[in-house]
Amino acid sequence: MNLSALTGFPLLSLVLWLPFLGTLLCLVFRHSALACRWLALLTTLTVLILVAWLFVGLPAESGWLLKEDYAWIPSFGIRYSLALDGISLLMVALTALLQVAAVLISWKQKQHPALFYALVLILETGIIGVFLATDLILFYLFWELMLIPMLFLIGVWGHGNRVYAALKFFFFTLAGSLCLLLSIISLYLIHGEQTGVYSFAFETLMQTQLSSGVEMLLYVGFLLAFVVKVPLFPFHTWLPDAHTEAPAAGSVDLAGLLLKTGIYGLIRFAFPLFPSAAQQSLPFLAVLALIGIFYAAWIAYAQTDIKRVVAYSSVAHMGFVILGLAAWNQLAWEGALLLMVNHGVTTGGLFILIAMLQDRTGSRDLRVLGGMWKTLPFFSAFFLLFCLASLGLPGLSNFAGEILVLLGAFSRWPLLAALAAAGVVFSAAYMLRVVQGVLWGPLGQMCKIGEDDCLHEDLDRREWLLLIPLAMLVIWLGIYPAPVLEPMSGPISLLLQSGGLP
Amino acid sequence: MSALELQSLLPLIILALGATGVLMLGAWYPSRNWILGGVLITLLAAFSAGLIDPAVPEVANLYSAGSYARFFVVLWSILGALTLLLSLRYTEIHDLPGSEYTALVLFAICGMGLLSSATSLVGLFLGLEAFTLVFYILIAFKRDDSYGAEAGLKYLVMGAVATGFLAFGISLIYAASGSFHLPEAFAGLQQAGGMRTLGLAGWAFMLVAIGFKVSLVPFHLWTPDVYQGAPAPVSGLLATGSKGAVFASLVPLFTALGPLKADLEVILWALAALSMLAGTFAALPQRNLKRMLAYSSVVHMGYLMIGLLVGGPEAHRALLFYVIAYVVATLGAFGVLTSFSRVDDEPQEYGDFRGLGYLHPRRSSVLSACLLSLAGIPPLVGFFAKFGIIAAALKGGYPGLAIIAILAALASLYYYLSPIVVLFMQQRDARELRRGGRYEFIVLALCFAAILLFGIYPSPLLEVLTGILP
Repeated sequence: MNLSALTGFPLLSLVLWLPFLGTLLCLVFRHSALACRWLALLTTLTVLILVAWLFVGLPAESGWLLKEDYAWIPSFGIRYSLALDGISLLMVALTALLQVAAVLISWKQKQHPALFYALVLILETGIIGVFLATDLILFYLFWELMLIPMLFLIGVWGHGNRVYAALKFFFFTLAGSLCLLLSIISLYLIHGEQTGVYSFAFETLMQTQLSSGVEMLLYVGFLLAFVVKVPLFPFHTWLPDAHTEAPAAGSVDLAGLLLKTGIYGLIRFAFPLFPSAAQQSLPFLAVLALIGIFYAAWIAYAQTDIKRVVAYSSVAHMGFVILGLAAWNQLAWEGALLLMVNHGVTTGGLFILIAMLQDRTGSRDLRVLGGMWKTLPFFSAFFLLFCLASLGLPGLSNFAGEILVLLGAFSRWPLLAALAAAGVVFSAAYMLRVVQGVLWGPLGQMCKIGEDDCLHEDLDRREWLLLIPLAMLVIWLGIYPAPVLEPMSGPISLLLQSGGLP
Repeated sequence: MSALELQSLLPLIILALGATGVLMLGAWYPSRNWILGGVLITLLAAFSAGLIDPAVPEVANLYSAGSYARFFVVLWSILGALTLLLSLRYTEIHDLPGSEYTALVLFAICGMGLLSSATSLVGLFLGLEAFTLVFYILIAFKRDDSYGAEAGLKYLVMGAVATGFLAFGISLIYAASGSFHLPEAFAGLQQAGGMRTLGLAGWAFMLVAIGFKVSLVPFHLWTPDVYQGAPAPVSGLLATGSKGAVFASLVPLFTALGPLKADLEVILWALAALSMLAGTFAALPQRNLKRMLAYSSVVHMGYLMIGLLVGGPEAHRALLFYVIAYVVATLGAFGVLTSFSRVDDEPQEYGDFRGLGYLHPRRSSVLSACLLSLAGIPPLVGFFAKFGIIAAALKGGYPGLAIIAILAALASLYYYLSPIVVLFMQQRDARELRRGGRYEFIVLALCFAAILLFGIYPSPLLEVLTGILP
């Protein structure tokens, strides 16, 4: 079907609210785990198909590709306005993909399955909403909507010290969010006093005249909310706990998607709304990003829990992304956004594999694991592939993003880029340590505590189904990233030139 | 008093006469069904307030019959109906007399209605005392409960002191201005002159009394003990209606105050800031749901004071919206507590709720939604309430209060999340609590729907509030 025939149809709302509908249905059929499971899968698959159709059908132009705008709360000037450009399309596509993976990896969820799938689905609505909203209050609403499901996912289904991790995640993010809210309201009032138009529409607020002091103050409010979510060093301390204690689906969503919402907020809202303050902050961001790359790599190397290693590697990768953004040129931004997508796929894949490993052996500890290659060859092959992708092996996905970021950053900060390149070596060190500890060496713990006789099957059909598309994506994005770069290059150049809207 | 004036006062007369009737008839025919009768009376009052146009706008220079007053009469009547529905099973298992209970609740609702419609200081005093007196009895309604007796006594002593302050303050203002009627009572105080100081002293006394009634810091100390000791539905009514009605009466009062407010600014600022800060710090370590709600209500009163301090139609609208958001969520929380209560005890310690989320999922979800709404998490109604107040504070030029409000909101998450963590994230060792009754579920479903609907689509309510504001 031709997309242009559908201009009047609220396609964006459909993509946004479909998962929410799934949530409601899950709560209705809460007594049947089977029904909920299939409902969740069907919903996420439908969203994925819709988004894939949009991805193929929409032209790679630089402006808004789809828009929706309705009055919502006129007395506050709040509108229900959604819009999609190349960057948000990419992010929504990543969300749709990883949510299917999150549902599949939790297929055997035994503890309160209905609630679990309901939360995963409502989380999807929150994330997609963040990527689509162009009214600041609507954006804030979705931003907060991501928090509650994640709190429950970690707190109810997590491992070990889960309540602590859940609350820590919640408070860090909320503290940032409230700064954001204060900035949003201030900006709204300042704009209202200047023009008499009280509106939260992003495009209207862009026109606000701000003195440089006020601009910096409001920008810091936005920045705090977003860099806590990214997370940029030194705001990252919630991340290792949350990632480690979260259940598999929670880790996939956290690393693959929630971190991206922070980056997205920066490029969509913080930079365009406060362009000169943003320019002033770039060196600062770049230095913090660089510290983050090395610091996280150093800590990751010292971990014995594989999930923690991967969690810290996320901090390092996000450091690369921020470094790319701070370089403020087309090449670096394309690299940064590509790296975001790549990181989502590879880290999502790694968390999925770790969940499978823990499912079989009952452990994530490098000290007791080992020798998997001999017993689970197919699993190990995938594990190796994703680890190599994560450390940035040329030809696999992360490399393409990282090299673009480094090239772009080099033209602006040669010294920082040179130092950051060394960070790639560090990531090789800790990832290879994981590979060595899990796949090779003497045979380690193979059974859960209390189980004596466990002859483990290699991957089953569901797991093959889950891993093959992700693995193909890893290779494809490494060899031929053009289809991903194409839709976002237009919006990026617009963002960079005007510091403004697509 | 003419027939026209009586017609204009009809909803409140229905409540008062209904209460008297239930009390009388209940003496001959004791039955718990009187509670349902009480529900009918409140609904009748609500309909007559909403549908019958008043013949005169003001009754005896004491009470207004305008749309503002009528709105609150409807609101408190509905609150009364919901409280009575909640109490149906509660009075049964605790073996409380039905007709007396109903009559007292109806009197309380009548007093709240009078207070919200007051246009003179005397009307304000009468309304306030009408429901305070009733609460003395209702709080200690479980006669053999020592906590209840303590709570009743505490409320009585504190309330009596506050009444003294209120009466004295009103008499000083009267001495200074020569009028009880609202705009005139302050008109004489505008110019600097000999009596102005006297009038301001009167205001200080009145503020003390108001501080006691709505539990602003430093007059809040009675709150946790009274909430804890009173029967759960009574605590609910006390936390919602009595505070909401006082704020509803303060909005016209402060509008009438005019430029005089500048003299009170420092005091109001301090009351708001202190209530938010001290309430937060006191709520953080609580492990008893009722006491936590008591301290958190202190924080909410601080937020409401910001609305009063800023003034003007927009801030007042934000304040009233906040009142409604607060009332709905607090009623829901106390409603869940009521429905959990057993014959021998009323679970309120966090330990009682451990892992209950999977045993009683619906009620636990409602409780969580209420707490999250009180914390101001979107898309629940509490978010736009807090949003309105903070926007008003920034617009009115009080960034300091806005920042305190934001910090208090952040810290509030800790004490609001604690019960939720206990409900859903701890292993179950709690005994199964009482299965809820049908009427309780109706009330809880209504609260839940209101929290969600007004949170997602607050426009209609905001428009109504814009329309009724004087």
